[in-house]
Amino acid sequence: MQSYLAEQKWWRTPFIKAKMVVMVILLVALPYLVSSQWVSVAVNINYYILAALGVQLLIGYCGQITLGHAAFVAVGGYCSALMVLHFPWPKFIVDAGLAYPLSMIVAAFAAGFWSVLFGLPSARVKGFYLIMTTMAAQWVTVPLVIAQYVTRIHGDNPEIPVPAGTFKLGPVVIDSDTKVYYFSLVLVVICLIAMGNLLRSRVGRAWVAIRDNDIAAETMGVNIVRYKLVAFFVAGFFAGLAGSFYVSSLSLVSPEHYDWKESLMWVGVILIGGVGSIQGLVFGSTFVILVFKLLDVAVTQSSMFLGDQYPQITWVTSKLVFLKDCAFGLAIILFLTYEPNGLAYRYWQLKNYFNLWPFSYTGKGG
Amino acid sequence: MWNRVIWSFVLFLSVAVLVYAVAVGKTYYPQLVLIGVMVGSLYALVALGWVLIYKCSGVLNLAMGELTLIGGYVCMSLYSVFVEKMPPTYAFMLGVVGTLIIGMILGLVTERLFLRKMIGEPILSVIMVTVGLSFLYKGIVFMIWETGTQSFEPAVFPLRPVLFAGLIMKQVYVWSFVACIVLVVAFVSFFKYTRWGLSMQACSDDEMAALSLGVSAKYVYALAWGIAFMAAGVGGTILANVSGLNYSISHLGLLVLPVVVFGGLNSVAGALVGGIAIGILQNVADGGLSHLRLAYPSPWWPLTIKEVAPMVFMVVFLLFKPYGLWGWERIERV
Repeated sequence: MQSYLAEQKWWRTPFIKAKMVVMVILLVALPYLVSSQWVSVAVNINYYILAALGVQLLIGYCGQITLGHAAFVAVGGYCSALMVLHFPWPKFIVDAGLAYPLSMIVAAFAAGFWSVLFGLPSARVKGFYLIMTTMAAQWVTVPLVIAQYVTRIHGDNPEIPVPAGTFKLGPVVIDSDTKVYYFSLVLVVICLIAMGNLLRSRVGRAWVAIRDNDIAAETMGVNIVRYKLVAFFVAGFFAGLAGSFYVSSLSLVSPEHYDWKESLMWVGVILIGGVGSIQGLVFGSTFVILVFKLLDVAVTQSSMFLGDQYPQITWVTSKLVFLKDCAFGLAIILFLTYEPNGLAYRYWQLKNYFNLWPFSYTGKGG
Repeated sequence: MWNRVIWSFVLFLSVAVLVYAVAVGKTYYPQLVLIGVMVGSLYALVALGWVLIYKCSGVLNLAMGELTLIGGYVCMSLYSVFVEKMPPTYAFMLGVVGTLIIGMILGLVTERLFLRKMIGEPILSVIMVTVGLSFLYKGIVFMIWETGTQSFEPAVFPLRPVLFAGLIMKQVYVWSFVACIVLVVAFVSFFKYTRWGLSMQACSDDEMAALSLGVSAKYVYALAWGIAFMAAGVGGTILANVSGLNYSISHLGLLVLPVVVFGGLNSVAGALVGGIAIGILQNVADGGLSHLRLAYPSPWWPLTIKEVAPMVFMVVFLLFKPYGLWGWERIERV
């Protein structure tokens, strides 16, 4: 490496470039390699990556703990669905299939501004008190504003049916899991690159300064209120994108998709993956969704097996569902206890081991 | 000083208005306030447990709702066993005592198994551990007990309402108020006058200093969790008597948060005042809403604001008093 510019490059060596190419080929070929239920699992992973991206930004890079991110995802989702269904689009836009992409942009901005609204208290409060405000965002937005008011645009029921084929991206009608998968893949790649670049800019450095010590950052001349609000805006923006993309894979948009547990789950995702790491975000989302899926499969299979073999113990079989909750809770606890640095740290260790091999001792100090 | 004068004046004025309203026969809002006080005492009890954990070990506990759930179910099982051998009142009292004991044990075990290792970890990890605990406990509760709504059979408290100065009150509320007050007094005197309580106070004041004076932080943390389980368990039991026992009573765990924010996270007195204030606010806001809905019919009134009102109030309140009424204002240095 000769220059700082070269040091800061995304892909520094031919090996990394080759790795990236292989990864892209694998990701593109995924729908042909696995069965359709695993494609929808991949869609869910992508959804979690996008949604938790904002959480990672706020918690991992700006130090503002948020426990109500599902509210902003809900804003994005409902905004997009309602706009596609009810906005008086001119005919040529609908024909060109631009209604959905345009609504995505509007949804992202709407979620961003909604997020700034609830980020305003961060100018005065921090720590636990800020956690409470973001939680309030959840309770104000989803059960009150969205479920009781916004959905009246559609009808009395807060649940909005979106049959397959409602959403069109240009000439492509999104009506199968595979199409949703490719769409989400493109979106995730764009958003992760955008986020990575944002973190290398002045704004990103300011966020990290605020995270590390906000008072010190202020004395260094960082306008902390402004940058905190920008962080909330960008986090909400990503959340809005996540929400508006996810409605294309649903057949019914309902407030239950934006439960408070989802917000908690996304915080869990970044803690499991590693706080302050984009790689960690990907690892965490994959881990959480896969664990859920595997538990689901295990519980379904075993209850089917038990139901067939021992029909007299249905009272045990019917309780297996709750074992899933237990196992998930226990998984989070054990992970945080025994792997507090997250999966990203493990990955880094592993990478270093191979990079330094066979001289593994050189890496120990760092 | 002036602060206190103004607050007492406001309090005096509102009590006077209520008394006047009762005297002239307008009992709608005074009744709501009274119910609010009664329900608020319940919130105060659970918030007390929450504040204790926070004060002693700095853990923001999001599993409080599941702790109330466990308490409710344990007490109901004990009650249904005891009630076959003795009159309901004694059976219920024994059930509550049993809930307290089991709560204490569970609290100690939880602290030892899951939270002892988290001492010194970042705040967020500890919060997420309590979230994991809430998943775990929810699963365990529903694996052991039924998911449908259950109620205490036969009813513990007589169904005949109490009349007081023109206000009608269910007996359950009165007794729950009495029980909460008794328990709160018991807990507070425990902190003030016993050796263990004093060491808990010392630990919450300055952990380092307490350690150097020979207070065992380990036991203090364990005790805090034990007491929190006890308080939440009794809260769950009482709420189960008021409104039936199902998963929705774990909502109490979330309502605790506006309460403690109002009072200040580090203040026991704040939890009590905050509990009663939020109870009043919730009931008056909801009653006022249905009043308005009757007076001005419109489809645009929200269905209910019982859950949202405390949260909205909390956000607005935080903007004006970021440390609650009596929370510690930390002065930070770089």
